Amino acid sequence: MPDLIFALLSGVVGSLIIAVIPQVRNRLRNFAVLFFCAAGTFFSWRVAIAVFAGESAEISGEIGGFPFVLSPDPLGAVFGLIASTLWLFAAVYSFGYMAGKNRQRSYFTFFLLALSATLGVAFSGNLIALYLFYELLTFATYPLVIHERSAEAMKAGKRYILYSLSGAGAILIAIVVTYSLTGNVDFSGEPILAGHRSSGLNFLLILFIIGFGVKAAIMPLHRWLPAAMVAPTPVSALLHAVAVVYSGAYGILRVVYSVFGQELMRTLSFRYIFSWVIAFTILAGVIIATRQDIMKLRLAYQTVSHLSYILLGAFTLQPWGLAGAVMHMISYSMLKITLFFCAGIISEHSGKTRVSSMGGIGRQFPETMAAFGVATLGMIGMLPLNTFWGKYYLMKGSVAAGMWPFALVLTGSGIINAVCFIPVVVNAFRGEKAHTNSGQKTGVALMLAPTLILVVIALFTGLWPGMVWPAVQAVVNWYF
Amino acid sequence: MKILLEKLIINYPYFAAVILFIIGALTVLTRSNLFKKLIGINIMESGIFLMFVAAGNIRGGAVPILEEGSSRSVYINPLPSALMLTGIVVSVSVTAFALALILRLYKEYGTTDARRIAEIRSGVLKK
Amino acid sequence: MMTVITDNLPVFVVIAPLFVAFILPTFARRLRLVEGLVIIANTLWIAGAAYLASIVLSQNGIPITYALGGWQAPWGIELKAGSLGALFILIIAGVSLMVSFFARNNLTEEVGSYERVARFYVLILLLGGALAGMAVTNDLFNVYVLVEIATLSCCGMVSARKHARAAEAAFTYLILATLGSILVMGGIGFIYIITGHLNMAFASQELGRVWQNSPHVVWMAFSFFLVGFGVKAAVFPLHVWLPDAHSTAPAPASAILSGLAVKGYLICLLKILYNVFGQTLMQQYAVQRILVIVGTLTIMAGSILALTQDELKRRLAFSTVAQVGYIFFGFSLINTKGLSGALFYLVSHAVIKSTLFLAAGAMISATGEGKISGLAGIGRKMPITVAAFTVASLGLIGIPLFSGFIGKWYLLLGSMEAGSVIPAVVIIAGSVLCAAYLLPVIRVAYFEPTPEVDVKDPGLSQKVALIVLAAAVVILGILPGPFMELANMAATELLVLK
Repeated sequence: MPDLIFALLSGVVGSLIIAVIPQVRNRLRNFAVLFFCAAGTFFSWRVAIAVFAGESAEISGEIGGFPFVLSPDPLGAVFGLIASTLWLFAAVYSFGYMAGKNRQRSYFTFFLLALSATLGVAFSGNLIALYLFYELLTFATYPLVIHERSAEAMKAGKRYILYSLSGAGAILIAIVVTYSLTGNVDFSGEPILAGHRSSGLNFLLILFIIGFGVKAAIMPLHRWLPAAMVAPTPVSALLHAVAVVYSGAYGILRVVYSVFGQELMRTLSFRYIFSWVIAFTILAGVIIATRQDIMKLRLAYQTVSHLSYILLGAFTLQPWGLAGAVMHMISYSMLKITLFFCAGIISEHSGKTRVSSMGGIGRQFPETMAAFGVATLGMIGMLPLNTFWGKYYLMKGSVAAGMWPFALVLTGSGIINAVCFIPVVVNAFRGEKAHTNSGQKTGVALMLAPTLILVVIALFTGLWPGMVWPAVQAVVNWYF
Repeated sequence: MKILLEKLIINYPYFAAVILFIIGALTVLTRSNLFKKLIGINIMESGIFLMFVAAGNIRGGAVPILEEGSSRSVYINPLPSALMLTGIVVSVSVTAFALALILRLYKEYGTTDARRIAEIRSGVLKK
Repeated sequence: MMTVITDNLPVFVVIAPLFVAFILPTFARRLRLVEGLVIIANTLWIAGAAYLASIVLSQNGIPITYALGGWQAPWGIELKAGSLGALFILIIAGVSLMVSFFARNNLTEEVGSYERVARFYVLILLLGGALAGMAVTNDLFNVYVLVEIATLSCCGMVSARKHARAAEAAFTYLILATLGSILVMGGIGFIYIITGHLNMAFASQELGRVWQNSPHVVWMAFSFFLVGFGVKAAVFPLHVWLPDAHSTAPAPASAILSGLAVKGYLICLLKILYNVFGQTLMQQYAVQRILVIVGTLTIMAGSILALTQDELKRRLAFSTVAQVGYIFFGFSLINTKGLSGALFYLVSHAVIKSTLFLAAGAMISATGEGKISGLAGIGRKMPITVAAFTVASLGLIGIPLFSGFIGKWYLLLGSMEAGSVIPAVVIIAGSVLCAAYLLPVIRVAYFEPTPEVDVKDPGLSQKVALIVLAAAVVILGILPGPFMELANMAATELLVLK
């Protein structure tokens, strides 16, 4: 399956090429980045289309004596699509954001490397491959987290890597246990543990959830995420709102549906505990967010909250719940990255990072704040935006699973989201026009364009959810 | 009690070996003088040598040399003694090497006391 | 002709380095010649080892036995080159070839005059021969003699630098290691007293019959061996000598000491535990529990102590203590997966740790700084050295695609099979700690501002050595084929023999 290989290789090859382009050749480097990102996106789309059409794309081999399978199924294809497409937007945004900054070479090298690692996570066909790419993702994104090289960044990087490696360790133990129970680690066909019945499996589930929960930022494993906000904004936007954290959420979806399988999951009593932990994370995350003054931290805690929407959908074990999870994965990623992009534009061009100082900023950046406002509505889950549908299916799934309190949790979270962000937007368009204190206006267009395009796409998919529905349906049909 | 004593008396070489071993070990671990540590090692080795040789000994056994016309049937086992020859050689070379090291340390620090050396070194490091 | 070679292979792989070691001092003044001879000898040695390994593999692990001097088994000394021996000798020969490559044109700075360098090579070869002997010998007293040769040559290497601290470290090491050897000899004495045999196979048979007559002596023998080899292999409470000794030695010596010497003693312990006492006796005396406890303690203590070190080489030395803990723990798992995991881990650690020490040596001699903070920003100036260090670090942490992962995987599988969950958690905690103490070095080297001082990669042969070793870490991780097979065979064999 050449498309699969090209999709995976484009990031690696690109990063190798960028590593040798001299530091000063910015235009050449930007061109190369764009080219390889576009290649990755193009081939991921091709892979995804083939997968949705029911063709199987599989590469299997052996690494170190272990079976190593790459075989995207609909869920993986959806994740691959989201990641690679947004990578393209983030790359364009990065050109604007990074213009005139130091260490661009190292930034873009690891930026592309992380693309390959993320696509690897998405397309992995067994636990070994998943684990391999999951570890690689940690190492590829570490240099991006510490890109600023300040003491704070180093501290955040240390926390990030230790949290991630501990999580990966838990996953490794869990994989070894799974392997010694069944001798099988493949995702294709029956769930790996299908047919096993024992209460000890609850502890295996704990190991898996702790392992992937680190990246999915389930409370109390979320603490690396706010710390990692010292990274450049495109990194926070792409990795810490989408790619890295989604790889955790994706891992949990995999564990629930491909490792344990929904039938076995129903017999495990610990899933209730996790559901409540997740519900707690949804509410606590967004409540903490309202108390943050620094914009990026506020967004980070909101990410913590919204990631758990996806997990909640997974734990309902209902077709509607899964559909909601997948839908939310698609729509939330577009809007969250928009929010971060807007925050980045404002902080770059006005130097304002605190919410309290953003009064009147909308006069100065009307398009940016308009996009921000629309995305905020999406965070709440209002109709013209696509997140409404995800939330709607999630509620439907919760009720169908007999877990109606979670529907209330989701509603409550939406209200708190409104409390958290609506005032920001309103303040931005009220009062005095803020003083312009920035002379530099480089790359505004490059930063604004991807932001606005994403908002438009989000509106379109909100009005015509049928555009993404085939993908969601493919995932649901695959497991139910 | 009586049986224990009897056993001890009959197996006196082993008893002596254990005592030597313990004396040696105590010397190595408690003395700070490098020479005394080395001597402790040697005493310990003697204990083990004694144990080996005693294990090969058979009371009333003859020297293990076949003689024409001799009617003795019980010989001392020569193997442990032979092994201990090797052991002694090894122990001598260890001693020689250790002495050379002590000499070097003495030239450097002017003392053969491990504690003094540590003090001097930490003083040097502080400077 | 072929059979002559085949039959004599077990003794060849031991004698080859020893023989060259003895003729080397005659050329002491001509350093080029000495270095050439060492590399030729090492190449021959590795060829012999590879041939031995291929034969053992093709025979499905049936060992080649060799009676020294023509004296047959119960009386004479028997060499038995099986899968364990072949695996270990291959790795010793390979690593010491690379280390002697690294040492070319490089040692005078750390060791001194040409003659001293020549003597240093003598010690390396002697150690290699002794370690190879340990891997193939089937005779208990021979084990003692080889252990002593190895100990003395290690001490010689530690004291090779003209440094008062080196002499001090060497003396501490000598005293403690001799204490260990005495205990080992005592253990051998106990076995001999109750069985009347020094050949491992015969002693083991006899022991199976008579151990109930003198259970306390067996207990004493167990404890003497455990403590004796424990001192030499530096398991947790007995590790005090290792950090000083390994960090004050010249870089090639540290690589060999940490990478190979410690492993030789572990192999001896493994053979004595499984081939002489056998698994039934081990279970009878609950030795495997002691091994588990000591192993896990060593992992934790070594890793935590490594975290507190500022000096790079001391940090690596403490990390060796921790890694010995993994292998020790693996020995406690009486099943094929665990044992083969331990053996593979041993092999991969030998390669990884020697890479780390060599790279560290190159960095330290280039910057003149022993502290980690002194290595700021050298990643750009010494790309190959730091890249080799990075690859080896990732291997030690146990990232898939690198050799450490496979060892850890099988150790985990083995501990699942043995039903011990807490050690599995300790293994993982050990890798996280390993990341915590190795990654800062890489971070400092790559992500801190580059210094003004002019530092650059070491010479060509040093670079070759580093590249080959780092490549070996990756190749072992991706294609462990024959090595894993040998480790598997060795594990099966150890378990089948009683």
